[in-house]
Amino acid sequence: MQFSKWLKPVAVASTAALALLVFAAPGMAQDATPEATSDMGMMMMEAPAPNTDLSGELNFMGFGLGDEIATTRVDYAQAQLPNVTLHFSEGGFDAQQFLTAFASGNPPDIVYISQQTLGTYAANDTFMPLDQCIADQDIDMSQYRDVAVNQVTINGSVYGIPEFYNSLMLIINTKALDDAGLTLDDVDTSDWNHLAELNQQLTVGNGNSLTRMGFDAKLPEFLPLWVRANGGQMLSDDGKTAMLNSPEVVQALEFAVSIYDEQGGFAAMKAFRDTWDFFGSNNQVPADQIGFWPMEQWYMNVLAGVSPDAPVAFKPFTDKDGNPISYVTGSAWAIPVGSKNPEAACAFAKAMTSVNAWVAAAEARAEKRAADGSINTGVFTGNRLADEAIFGGGIVAPIDNQAFQQGVDVILSLQDHGFAMPANPAGTEFQQIWQDAVNRVLNGEQTAQESLDQAQQEAQTALDAAWGQSS
Amino acid sequence: MSVMPSQLARERQPSRRDSIQWGKVIRRALFIALLILFTIIFMVPFLWLLSASLKVRADVFNNTWIPDPIAWENYVNVWQVTPMLTWFKNSVLVGILAAAAVTISSAAVAFGFSYFKFRGRDFLFGIVLATMMLPGVVTMIPVYLIWNALGQVNTFTPLWAMNLFGSAFYIFLIRQFYLTLPRELFEAARVDGANYFRMWWNIALPLTRTALIVVFVFEFKASWTDLLKPLIYLQNSALYTLPRGLKAVLDQFGQGGEMQWEIVLAASVIVTVPMIIIFFFGQRYFMEGIATTGLKG
Amino acid sequence: MATAAQEMDRPRKGRSNIQRSETLAGLAFISPWFIGFLIFTAGPMVISLALSVSDYDVIHPPQFSGLANYQQLLTDPRIGLSLGNSFYYALLHVPLSIIMALVLAMILHRVGKAAGFFRTAFYLPTITPAVAVGTLFLWLLNPRVGLVNKGLALFGIVGPGWTTDPTWIKPGIILMSLWSVGGTVILLLAALQGVPEQLYEAANIDGASGWTQFTKITVPLISGTLFFVLIVNTIGSLQIFTEVYTMYFGKQQSGAASSSGLFYNIYLFRQAFEFLHMGYASAMAWLLFVIILILTAIQLRVSRRWVYYEGS
Repeated sequence: MQFSKWLKPVAVASTAALALLVFAAPGMAQDATPEATSDMGMMMMEAPAPNTDLSGELNFMGFGLGDEIATTRVDYAQAQLPNVTLHFSEGGFDAQQFLTAFASGNPPDIVYISQQTLGTYAANDTFMPLDQCIADQDIDMSQYRDVAVNQVTINGSVYGIPEFYNSLMLIINTKALDDAGLTLDDVDTSDWNHLAELNQQLTVGNGNSLTRMGFDAKLPEFLPLWVRANGGQMLSDDGKTAMLNSPEVVQALEFAVSIYDEQGGFAAMKAFRDTWDFFGSNNQVPADQIGFWPMEQWYMNVLAGVSPDAPVAFKPFTDKDGNPISYVTGSAWAIPVGSKNPEAACAFAKAMTSVNAWVAAAEARAEKRAADGSINTGVFTGNRLADEAIFGGGIVAPIDNQAFQQGVDVILSLQDHGFAMPANPAGTEFQQIWQDAVNRVLNGEQTAQESLDQAQQEAQTALDAAWGQSS
Repeated sequence: MSVMPSQLARERQPSRRDSIQWGKVIRRALFIALLILFTIIFMVPFLWLLSASLKVRADVFNNTWIPDPIAWENYVNVWQVTPMLTWFKNSVLVGILAAAAVTISSAAVAFGFSYFKFRGRDFLFGIVLATMMLPGVVTMIPVYLIWNALGQVNTFTPLWAMNLFGSAFYIFLIRQFYLTLPRELFEAARVDGANYFRMWWNIALPLTRTALIVVFVFEFKASWTDLLKPLIYLQNSALYTLPRGLKAVLDQFGQGGEMQWEIVLAASVIVTVPMIIIFFFGQRYFMEGIATTGLKG
Repeated sequence: MATAAQEMDRPRKGRSNIQRSETLAGLAFISPWFIGFLIFTAGPMVISLALSVSDYDVIHPPQFSGLANYQQLLTDPRIGLSLGNSFYYALLHVPLSIIMALVLAMILHRVGKAAGFFRTAFYLPTITPAVAVGTLFLWLLNPRVGLVNKGLALFGIVGPGWTTDPTWIKPGIILMSLWSVGGTVILLLAALQGVPEQLYEAANIDGASGWTQFTKITVPLISGTLFFVLIVNTIGSLQIFTEVYTMYFGKQQSGAASSSGLFYNIYLFRQAFEFLHMGYASAMAWLLFVIILILTAIQLRVSRRWVYYEGS
C-alpha cells in the first residue's frame, strides 16, 4: 500500500527522473544483493553486527520488490544476513499458489500476508507459532503496536511479525464546508443526528442527479468502524463468538445505510462514485464530488501526490463519546510449517521490521520526494519506535502545506487508538459473511435485522467449525 | 417489325440491370456499414487499452480516447522494471510445445474415434466428452501432487506435457471434421493397400488441415493466456510466462500495490500484441488450407 | 477396454479379420488419450471423490465425514442461489452468443478484401487480458457515464444500473460476454467455408430465397460445428469464472454483485481457496459435474434429430 513514485506528468520524461525510477526498482528478477546498500546508514541508529552464522536459502511468497520502502529494507536485511541467499517470487500472496505448494510438502520458507488472512492459516497449523523464534532472535515485541500484535496472536501464541499499519481518518473537502457555511469544527461524527444533518447539508443533487455526496459511510468494508463507534463489537475478543445481530450492530448498520438512502440510494451513489478519478489530479476532492468520508491513511499520500493544492483537511473519526477511533489493517511476516530455513526466516522478519530498516526506508523515501519536489508524508509502520524515530528525528521535514502537516499529525495521534477484528481461524470466511450481510441490506434484499440474523448463524457455524478443526 | 422486340429488349435490359445494381449497391452499403460497426465495437476494448497505456498516470482512467500528453516512457519503464524479454521467450517456447503436442495427439485420437468401428468406442468417446465437463478444480491438487512426485514442479513440463495425451475439446473438434469426410476416400486407399497409419497421415490429416491449424492457434492462445498453471507450478521468476509475469506486475503496480496502472496497461499491451500478430498470420492459413483441401468442391 | 477388445475377439466368419484389425488399430490410435486419462484424470478424480466425503482443509490429512458434505449441499442457500445464477447466465449467453457468432461469421464469410484484418478485429476481445477487459467494462457499463447507457439515451431510454443494480448485474455480464465470441466465430467461419458454393448456385437457379438457403443449406451443412459449439459453450458458460471474478470479486469488491453475481464456480473457488473447505468444494464440483453430464446427454440425444454428417 505504498504510493511512492508519483511521477510528475512531464518531468517523468526527463532522464533524471527515469534514472531515479530505475534505481528504485533494480530489476524484478534479480535477487537483492548486499552491494546495493548505497548510502544507507547515514542517519541510522547503531546497527547490530551482521549475523554470519545463518546461511542457506530463503524462498519468499507474497512479497515483491518494488518501491524504495521495500528495496531499502531488503538491502538492510541482506546486510544483516550476508550468508543467506534471498529468492523473491514476484506477486502478492495467492491462496491457490500457496496451498498447492503447501499440500505437496513444498512450502515457501517465509510468507508476507495481510494480518486478517493470517489468522485463518495460523489457526490451521499452516504457520508456525513464533514463540521460539522470538526468544532465539531476542525480538522485542513491545516495539510493535499492541493492536498489530493482537491481530497476529491466536490462542496466546504469536504467529506473525507486524509490518505495515494502516490507520483511518476523516478526509474533508473544505470547499464543500464553505459552500454550506460550515467550518471544520462542525465536522464531527460523535453525534449521529448531527452527522445525518451534515450529510444533508453537504449533499448536492439526489439519486441519478447526485453531483456531490455529503458523506460516504464506506459500506460494506467499514461496518466494524460504525459498530465500534456505537459501543458494540462484531466478534468477541477471544474470536470465538459472533455478535453480528446484537442491537449495537443492527443500529450501526441501519444508520450507515440511511446515509446512502438520504442521497437517493446505494446503487445511485455507487454509480456516481465509480465515475470518480480516484487516483488522478481531478479526484473527488478538487472535483468537489464529496463532502467528507472516513478513509485509510494511504490515500493522504495519493492526494499529496496528485492534488497537493486541493481544498482538503483531515480529522480523526470519533465514536459516540467523542473519542478518536481507528479501524486498523496491516500486513505481517509469517513462517509456514515446513519452512526449510526457519531461523533465517525469523532473523529476516526481525531485520525487515526493525527500527533501522524503517528509518533507512523513510530516508530513501524522503530523498526521492525531495528529488521530484513532491510532498513527503512519511512512512507509517507497525513499529512504534520506528514511527518515533521517523517523525521525531527530522527525517520527515515539517511540510509547508498546512493541510498535509495536519494530516500527518492526525495519523500520529491516532496510532494508539486503533482497533482490529479479533484474530480468528475463520478470518476470510467471517469477513465474507458480514460483508454479504451488509450488501443484502444495501441492495434492498433484506432488512438489517433479517440480514444480520442470517449472518450471525452462518458466522457462528463457520467459527465453530474452524475452531473445532484447529484445536 | 423484327427490329422492335430486340430494340425493346435492349431498352429494357439496361434499365433492369440498373435496378438490380441499385439493389446490390444498397445491400453492399448496408453490409459494409454493418461490418464497420461490428469492427469498431469489437476493437473498442483493445483500443481503450492501447490508449490508456499511453497516458500519464493521472490520466489513465480519464475516459478520453487520445492520450494527451502521450507517455511513451510507460513502455520504456515496463522493460526496465520487469524481465519482459525472458517471460516472452518462455511463453513462446511453452506455447509452441503445448500447441504442437496437442494438435498431433488429438488428431490421432480423433481418428481412432471416427474411422474405426469397435465395441466400446461410443462408451469411451462418452468418457472423452465427460472429461471436458469436469470442473478443473476437481483434479487440480491431485495433478499437482503427481507432477511434484515426478520432480517437475518449477519446470515447464507441467505446462505442456499433458497435451501429449490429447485434449477432449480438440479430439471432439477434429472428430467433427473427420466425420464430414466421405468414407469412400479411405476405402479406396485401403484397396490400394495403404495401412491405417498411412490413411490417417496421408489422407485424413491433409484434408483437415484447417481444423489442425485452428487447433494449433486455439491451443497456442490458451497457453499464451493461461495464468493458473504458471501460477501454481512456477516459483522462480526467471521461468515465468507472460500472464504470470503480468500478474506480478499487477500485484506490484496495480490494485493494492502502487497503483501505477499505466505500467500494468503497457505490460498488457505487450502481452496482447504478439497474439494479434500470430492470429493475423495464422488465420490466413485457415483459408489457404481450405482452398487446397478441395473441401469446397 | 480389455473387455471390449476381448468381446471383439469372438471368432466370426468373413469379416472378423478386418474387424479385429480395425479394433486393434482403433485402440492404438486412442491409446495416448487413454493413458493420459488414467494418469491425469481418472486417478485424480478418484482422489477428489474421496475428498468429497471428507473434511479436508489442505493442511491436515483428510478425515472421512461420510455424506456430510453432500447433506450440506442441500441445506446451503448459496448453492441454489449460485446454481440459479449460472443457469440464468447459460440460458441467455449460449443462444445469444451462438446467434451473434453466426451473424459475424456470415459477415466475415462474405468479406473479400482485408478479410484478415476483420477476422483479427473480431477476435481481439478474446486475446485482450482480463485485467484490462474487466476494468474497461466497469466503465462502459457505468450507469451514469458509460458508453452503453449514453447510447441508449440517444433513443430516449434511461439505461439501467448495469454494474450497481442487482437485477441488472447478470444482464450486464451477458452483454460483456458477447464481446468474447471470437473463438466461436472462427469455428463457424471455418465450417461455412466448407459449404460447397455450387449448392448455393443451384439454389439460386431454383429461385430459393436467402432465408430458405440459410435454413435448408447453411444450417444443415454446418450443423456438426453448431452442435460442437452448443455443447462447448454450455459447458463453458456453466463454469464462468475469470471475467466476473476480476470485475466484482477480486480486489475491487462490489457490493451490488455479491448475491446476483455469485456464480457457481466463484462460490466453489471461495469455499476451496478462501475458506479452505476443500472437501465441500470437491462435493460442489461433483454436483456440477453430474449436472453438466446430464445436460450434455440430453443435448446429444436431441442432436440426432438435427445434426447432419456427410460421412455417416
